[in-house]
Amino acid sequence: MSSEKTIPPGPQVHFELRKAGEGRLVLVLSGQLNADSAPRLWQELKQKLAATPATTLEIDAAGLTHCDSAGLALLYFLSTGQMTPNAQVTLSGLKPEFQKELQSFSIKDYQDLQSQQPAKPSVAEETGMAIMGMAGDLKEMAVFIGQVASALVAMPFHPRQVRWSEVLRIFEIAGVNALPIVSLISLLVGLIIAFEAAQPLAQFGAQIYVANLIGLVMVRELGPVMTAILLAGRSGSAFAAELGTMKVNEELNALETMGLDPVRFLVVQRLLASLLLTPLLTIFSMFTGVLGGVIVMLGLDFPMPMILRQLESSVQIRDIAFGTGKGFVFGIIVAGISCLRGMQTKEGPSAVGASTTRSVVSGILLIVVVDALFAALMFTLKK
Amino acid sequence: MSAPPDIIISVHNLTVGYADQVVLQRINFEVRRGEVFAILGTSGSGKSTLLKNLIGLYTPMAGEVLIEGRDIVTAEGDDRLRLLRSFGVLYQSGALFGSMTILENVRLPLDAFTRLPELAKDLVALSKLRLVDLKVSPARLPAELSGGMQKRAALARAIVADPVILFLDEPSAGLDPITSAGLDALFKELSRNSDITLVVVTHELPSIYAIADRVILLDAERKTIVAEGNPYYLRDHATDPLVRHFFRREAI
Repeated sequence: MSSEKTIPPGPQVHFELRKAGEGRLVLVLSGQLNADSAPRLWQELKQKLAATPATTLEIDAAGLTHCDSAGLALLYFLSTGQMTPNAQVTLSGLKPEFQKELQSFSIKDYQDLQSQQPAKPSVAEETGMAIMGMAGDLKEMAVFIGQVASALVAMPFHPRQVRWSEVLRIFEIAGVNALPIVSLISLLVGLIIAFEAAQPLAQFGAQIYVANLIGLVMVRELGPVMTAILLAGRSGSAFAAELGTMKVNEELNALETMGLDPVRFLVVQRLLASLLLTPLLTIFSMFTGVLGGVIVMLGLDFPMPMILRQLESSVQIRDIAFGTGKGFVFGIIVAGISCLRGMQTKEGPSAVGASTTRSVVSGILLIVVVDALFAALMFTLKK
Repeated sequence: MSAPPDIIISVHNLTVGYADQVVLQRINFEVRRGEVFAILGTSGSGKSTLLKNLIGLYTPMAGEVLIEGRDIVTAEGDDRLRLLRSFGVLYQSGALFGSMTILENVRLPLDAFTRLPELAKDLVALSKLRLVDLKVSPARLPAELSGGMQKRAALARAIVADPVILFLDEPSAGLDPITSAGLDALFKELSRNSDITLVVVTHELPSIYAIADRVILLDAERKTIVAEGNPYYLRDHATDPLVRHFFRREAI
């Protein structure tokens, strides 16, 4: 009784599996056993051998003209009895050049590997780790705030230590170059809010108050917040990536060993630049936002002097000061947190990406939290 | 056009460079099947640029590179895949993927080129790791390994799909002499035990003398090959002061 199978495409490998007596199987292989022909043969042999119980399996590999690592993997798997757990397996006729490589295979390595898969931590462990991580982060933040504060306090006494050209460069990249996007977004948001507000207010004949609304909203809330969020996404991420790359390239270590404090050398520049540019950008954003509202009002046939009078009556100088003040605080927050995240960058290729993400997320979170604090503060002060 | 059977890589009138800067002009050389061929030169002589042209990462400015008679620039589809499968590259930094374990890294070419069962891929990858003598757990991440161990793992990845040519880009870069000598022994053994062809880019003399059968020496000033042949022969018989200088580390 015998059976034979050729594997298309190409006459690469042939096998013949025949019964040579009670419980005795003979497998004759010939041709080229390589990565292209092995997968098919693997499947077929697995099925055939599972269907034919035997006590001995003799593999005759003398006909194999070529055998690569994949083919040897199959031979090894067969010869160690993995496909025929109840049979004694012998392998004969394999050319000596393949024999040597066959010895580098080891099923024990494979089993070791299976047992080495790291155990998943329990929920309690993960919670603990997360809390430890957060506590560590808070501590690092406190230390960082201290370092930055001391560097900032020291700065007026040693103004020459600040690299003003660097401050200017960052001011340009993060500030001047951000003008188009800040104005576009603010203008559009102003337009949208005015449009949306005009319809319900029209029901009460109160469309003129769109001007009051847009003035207050833009100057006190949206101007500063939108600017800060844009800054966090646009420049905060750049700060974090820049410092993170420097950390990965050991440039931060180089600074330390040259006696230059990275906080003083890198962070102060960015903080100063953003301290200067955020209020300016904020004012710009307030102005273009209000402009958006004015455009809608003009479209609704309100005369310009009337709109201006309305704006004048609702927005006072202290509102503008309040909004700009928020801008200062947001600027410090965005620059500070993104520099901190950059300096916290760990090792590895995905580390810079991770710290960039963290900088934007923490930046936006802090902006919103601090904005809420401002609102609460104003509320209590007014009482 | 087909190359003679014992020539595995042939380079004709190859000009390489970047944008408007020519690094090497109209160079010709051949690599024979089974030999250890070294591309030598000082820093900036265009060794790595040449290598990147050989393996198809850069497109030559002029001329052609034939690997087993096929041009990697024009090869497409299955042809290109077969060509890519025929060689492995050990990059200077190892270029192991940091987010994958060593085993996953080594298995990657098998995932890309073959349809072997998972277990077979693992078995082959583990056998190659044994071959390169990596003594740490393959379940680790690359970042947890020393530079030498990373190189070994990267070498296992380069040879896992049984390439006929292995390109090595500065294999001893950043390694101590003992570790790099260990790697050289590994290359020698690999070359002896199989009919694989090794193309090594290096400037390390001990490496060159230990493993190379034939070398070419590139020069930045002349933008071409200034010497070709057996490294010992060039050391003892070269008359060109530049070549003598390189092989003997003499002042010109």
